[in-house]
Amino acid sequence: MTTLTEPRAFRRIAVLGGIYANSHALGAALADIAGRDADAIFCLGDLGGFGPHPDRVVPLLRQAGVRVIQGNYDQAIALGHDDCGCGYTDPRDNRFARISYAYTLARTSSEHRRWLAALPGHRRLRLGEREALLCHGSPRAIAEFLWESTTPDGLVARLLDAARAELILCTHSGIKWRRRLPDGRDLVNVGVIGRPENDGTPRVWYTLLTAEAGRDLAVDFVPVHYDHEALAREMAAEGLPAEFVETVRTGWWTTCLEVLPGRERARGRF
Amino acid sequence: MPFRHLTALWVQVTGTWCNLACAHCINASGPREPWLAPMPGEDVRRWIEEAVALGVKEIYFTGGEPLLHREIVPLVEFALERAPTTVLTNGTLVDEPMADRLAALAARARYTLEIRVSLDHPEPERNDAIRGRGAFARALAAVRRLDARGLLPILTATETPAAGDGLYDRLRALLLAAGIGKPRVKILPLFPAGRMDGHGGGGVSAEMLDADAAGRLQCSEARAVAAGGVYACPILAGLPEARMPGATLAEALVANRLPHPACGVCWQTGSSCRNA
Repeated sequence: MTTLTEPRAFRRIAVLGGIYANSHALGAALADIAGRDADAIFCLGDLGGFGPHPDRVVPLLRQAGVRVIQGNYDQAIALGHDDCGCGYTDPRDNRFARISYAYTLARTSSEHRRWLAALPGHRRLRLGEREALLCHGSPRAIAEFLWESTTPDGLVARLLDAARAELILCTHSGIKWRRRLPDGRDLVNVGVIGRPENDGTPRVWYTLLTAEAGRDLAVDFVPVHYDHEALAREMAAEGLPAEFVETVRTGWWTTCLEVLPGRERARGRF
Repeated sequence: MPFRHLTALWVQVTGTWCNLACAHCINASGPREPWLAPMPGEDVRRWIEEAVALGVKEIYFTGGEPLLHREIVPLVEFALERAPTTVLTNGTLVDEPMADRLAALAARARYTLEIRVSLDHPEPERNDAIRGRGAFARALAAVRRLDARGLLPILTATETPAAGDGLYDRLRALLLAAGIGKPRVKILPLFPAGRMDGHGGGGVSAEMLDADAAGRLQCSEARAVAAGGVYACPILAGLPEARMPGATLAEALVANRLPHPACGVCWQTGSSCRNA
């Protein structure tokens, strides 16, 4: 897995998590970021899956100069794997995952697959005085879920030590959270803009990080309201599962629930 | 098998002391004199402290029946203050006061508390033929009590020869019919260990250890602690051939042998004893 190091330090960055072929939310997020005085925009991978027309995402990212790393979905699509590598055991979840993966694989152009294949696995950068590592799931495994309720402080410290960093940014799980250790180091799961975070609203989230000299790192989770009805209509027209469309409209997860820890599962409707 | 990192620490807290004696039990637990002794509470705390310092992600209490341990609630509390914690139980001892105590622990913890309740068949008589008379009703009552307190237990079943097709879906349907709105089910394969010794499985040879093997073998990122020390995985806890060298957990985070026919089942199925 390759690591790309940014040559310059940043003061403020915007970071997008999984996009899941939601070009509507991506467009709205990029428009919002344009007014936020960010030095750079990063995306932590998983560009396809779940939503319609995966080929619409890559041009938007390239046009906006977004610096992308590879997610497990991108890796699977690039290499033409049999499945997305999420490892579900619920037969329902596996069925939905297969539908979504087959749809995405069939509609991702060979040019975009080559582009996905060339993405780095990690990026390193300096944010103010902090050394940051950007990854998809966790620094040690592309498909590892880091949920707030299942990531102990001891593990966060271990990951930061191993990364030789003061900040780790990740996505993959689909729900944003921040952990600040007593020593001032941070791990931030930036959430995803591809689907709502199981909170009963259709909005999605990206993360803005600002380093001011002599001050604590500012981590702002920014809600993005977008035309989710247009997305829902496109998904239905493409024959994607009605359960996915329901999630877009209601904000509640209807599938892939087995990966949720009890704490996070209890907050949702299903 | 090369060791990657310590994701899961399994605590064989009651050894093989259990109030049931299930036909397929991986370590032949039962109510008579346990062949693997329960652990003193102070040892459990020491192992947990060491695992936390090593960056462990999840702690699991197993046995035997963990709720038979007279210190189990304070031990779970100790673990939960430091890491996400799971208790594997047959449910028979989850009465109203115990459900209250577990729910109270979960409510004030920053990490998730998961309770896994074992039940092997959606039909009471077929389940009880494996797990003992009354086990089905008591397990389902435990699931209801925990669910009523928002704990969302994970029903955990072993795919026994009696299971039939679609065990996952049938157990999910059972939970829905019992009024459990957010059903959670985990299926484990049948392991040729304990009371099933000699029933299938097979060795894992060096040639089978390709690049994917570490992802399929949980011993690459788990260790079990028991009265006798540190073992390669929870299925083989207590067996001399799975005992790791050294007196500390840190010394046990090295490559292990794959000495048992159960290792072949892990390799074939990629199954993990972890929750997800």
